[in-house]
Amino acid sequence: MNKRLITIIVVIIAFLGVAFVATGKSAQQVKKQNYIPTVGILQLVTHPALDEIHRGIVAGLKKQGYTGNKIKIDYQNAQANQANLKTMSQKFANENADLTLGIATPAALSLAKTADGNSPVILAGITDPVGSGLVKTGQRPGANVTGTSGDSPLEQHLNVIKQVVPKAKKLGIIYTTSDHGGEYNAKRMAQLAKSAGYDVHMYTISTTNDMQQVAETMASQVDVVYAPQDNGVASAMKTLINITNKNNVPVIPAVNTMVKDGGVATISVSQYDIGYQAGIMAGQVLKGKDTATYPVKTITKGDMVINLKQAKLLGLHLPEDMIKTAEAKGEVFK
Amino acid sequence: MSIIVSSIGQGLLWAVLGVALFLTFRILNFPDMTVEGSFPLGAATAVTMISHGINPYLATLTALIIGSIAGLVTGLLYTKGKIPILLAGILVMTAALSINLRIMGSANISLLNQKSIFSSPILQHLPKNFDSVFVGFIIITIITLSLMFFLQTEIGQAFIATGDNANMAQSIGIKTDRMTIMGLMLSNGLIALGGAVIAQNNGYADINMGIGIIVIALASIIIGEVAFGDLSLNGRLVAVIVGSILYRLVLLAVLSLGFSTNDLNLISAIVLAVAMMLPQLRKALKFDTVIKKGVTKHD
Repeated sequence: MNKRLITIIVVIIAFLGVAFVATGKSAQQVKKQNYIPTVGILQLVTHPALDEIHRGIVAGLKKQGYTGNKIKIDYQNAQANQANLKTMSQKFANENADLTLGIATPAALSLAKTADGNSPVILAGITDPVGSGLVKTGQRPGANVTGTSGDSPLEQHLNVIKQVVPKAKKLGIIYTTSDHGGEYNAKRMAQLAKSAGYDVHMYTISTTNDMQQVAETMASQVDVVYAPQDNGVASAMKTLINITNKNNVPVIPAVNTMVKDGGVATISVSQYDIGYQAGIMAGQVLKGKDTATYPVKTITKGDMVINLKQAKLLGLHLPEDMIKTAEAKGEVFK
Repeated sequence: MSIIVSSIGQGLLWAVLGVALFLTFRILNFPDMTVEGSFPLGAATAVTMISHGINPYLATLTALIIGSIAGLVTGLLYTKGKIPILLAGILVMTAALSINLRIMGSANISLLNQKSIFSSPILQHLPKNFDSVFVGFIIITIITLSLMFFLQTEIGQAFIATGDNANMAQSIGIKTDRMTIMGLMLSNGLIALGGAVIAQNNGYADINMGIGIIVIALASIIIGEVAFGDLSLNGRLVAVIVGSILYRLVLLAVLSLGFSTNDLNLISAIVLAVAMMLPQLRKALKFDTVIKKGVTKHD
């Protein structure tokens, strides 16, 4: 072994020794007056829906009076590299962040693990917080984790399907196997639709590259397609629509961006609202509210969104009141 | 200070991958893409077993065995099926995604409030972040010492000879195919073990956690080599471990310099590329060698 290697090893060991002695002592810090809280926001990947949540969070915090020089916001984006999540969560812990917010499940899990029951973690738009082990129950989270859940209003989606294509019998549901939220919603929708008398067929893609092939098969087998809130399907929406249009099969997606990309209609929960509510909750927690008894807020209230161009292309007649609600409160793509 | 401790801890944990990849990348001399499949495979196996109430140590060891099976498949495809090694690895890596989904039953399994190798009572008394330093140190020490011992044995020497010159090795009666398969099994078993440990440290297993793993493992090997130069085989293994720690510190430095995290992947690629080109750059910039070359040519 050469000298340089030995030197570096000695330095690392010496540093660890010093840190070992030092970390035990410096734990206590006195909070000053006019204390400026630090908030860490951790996002899994850049993606239109997740960016909307982030925008909402900042606005929610602002509403609670945390803006400008009253707060220090550290925003980190792991760019889908899960190894980064740990480092970034640790960075927040090291800054003694008073609170952290996680956008997307892996980000939230990483924060919760690093916080280890101590500093509060606010979830923003986590589809299934109980199933992923982040909270004990939605009503009483039980520890340092709470937040907002972006639950899709599946019953309303089923209603939209009934209204748009009343004659449809065979419903295809497509989701990405690697997307926990997509899978969760797809399976719940399958149950709902089955009990409503539909003949349900499930289709999965493992990456967006599979979309072409899977969509071809699906379009030839079903009358209507439901696309849940799923990052993979959302990214490959254009491919899906190309194929379903050829086969004259309408697609009912879960969110407004997917209607814009060629879905016919949906009731869309605003991602911005999910973030906004999470921001409000974060503000409340910073002001002293206890996370253990602060219920998870599930946001299911949505607005009607329709795509008239797509409806015309497929020869569908949307009910008059549907168009009216969309024009009044929701979004209409022409 | 505690963030540096944490980075050292992460470096020690991830060093398992570096050492494991060293067996194929440096000793057998080929890039084995299987690791991007065997890493999440190990994580999936261990986390699923733990969440079903099985002892975390047993779960971690099972991950090692399952990972080595992935290596076995790549090895068979390569040696018996005559599929080029890069392709064989990619095939197994792709197949592993479906296997992992089957094992986990969903894309993400959390370990919050579950026992893991990090929740043993001794670790609870350590200062913050020292748990991963402690566990990482013990695991990597056991692995490295066993490998050092193994590489001195007759089989170990035959394994090295296979990588150095397969034809020569064959001519002195070494069954090179067997050696290659064994190397792949050992390497992927260790990678899966690393996956199991890191998943427990992170608190979850995710179907996508294998993406970019080979770069992290390569980084520790390359940084170790560039930083410490010529070493004995045992020294090189130690250099990989230190390289893994240095890589984490470099990433930490980049993050705390305030670079946009959007650029993180680009930056780690650049760090690696520069590290790999360093010997060439040094040669190109050294005037005396240039002159020497000129002189000898004219001779």
